[in-house]
Amino acid sequence: MSTIEQYNRSFIDTFSVQVEMLHDLKYQDVPDWDSVGHMSLMSILEDEFKIEMDIDDIIDFSSYETGKAILRKYGVEL
Amino acid sequence: MELGKKLHSYSLSEIKECQQNRFPMLFVDRITEAVPGEYAKGFKNFSYNEWFFPTHYEDDPNVPGFIQVEALVQVFLMTFLTLDEYRGMKTSFVSIDKVKFRKKIIPGDKLEMTAELKSFRRGIASGLVTSSVDGSDAASAEFVVCIPEILSSFKPSN
Repeated sequence: MSTIEQYNRSFIDTFSVQVEMLHDLKYQDVPDWDSVGHMSLMSILEDEFKIEMDIDDIIDFSSYETGKAILRKYGVEL
Repeated sequence: MELGKKLHSYSLSEIKECQQNRFPMLFVDRITEAVPGEYAKGFKNFSYNEWFFPTHYEDDPNVPGFIQVEALVQVFLMTFLTLDEYRGMKTSFVSIDKVKFRKKIIPGDKLEMTAELKSFRRGIASGLVTSSVDGSDAASAEFVVCIPEILSSFKPSN
């Protein structure tokens, strides 16, 4: 599985969304992306890519697209 | 227990300093052994004076399942609310899985519970609690519990 597929799968599994929705997906756009869902996503991404994100990056991670840029800071190419 | 880890015990008043559950919804009498951040062992004595026995049921008093689950989770809370930085914070359920009730609990029973904290990251705790009465297996469950106050500090501003 490519890194972008891993990234997409993390969102799809955590928030029960379709891949077509990902491009525009933002925090609280779907009921499952609430504060608990946000922490679940962060944990899954950290486990998936074997990274540990800073608090500021977790707070800034407000959308699917923003998340891509944040993960690049940790060497994850998407 | 690994060498060097400090064992703790907690009286009822010390339990109340760690968690905000109160009568009639506090279902742990004492924590007999705990390593904060790892595990906790405690018990609840159910006497006939419990508020629910006269109605559940009049002719066959026993501890309702939801109260057994609540007792289990209250011991689980003591695995991480005993850490200084989280002491006394309010918690919320995220999920309850694999709940099993293996024994009817009746007036006079002492429910002994053991909670293991499997992970605790950024305000989300997950773990397993088992219990017994007189050495016989009773209820068990897996819990995910969060501390909303901690989650709020990680929320995107959006």
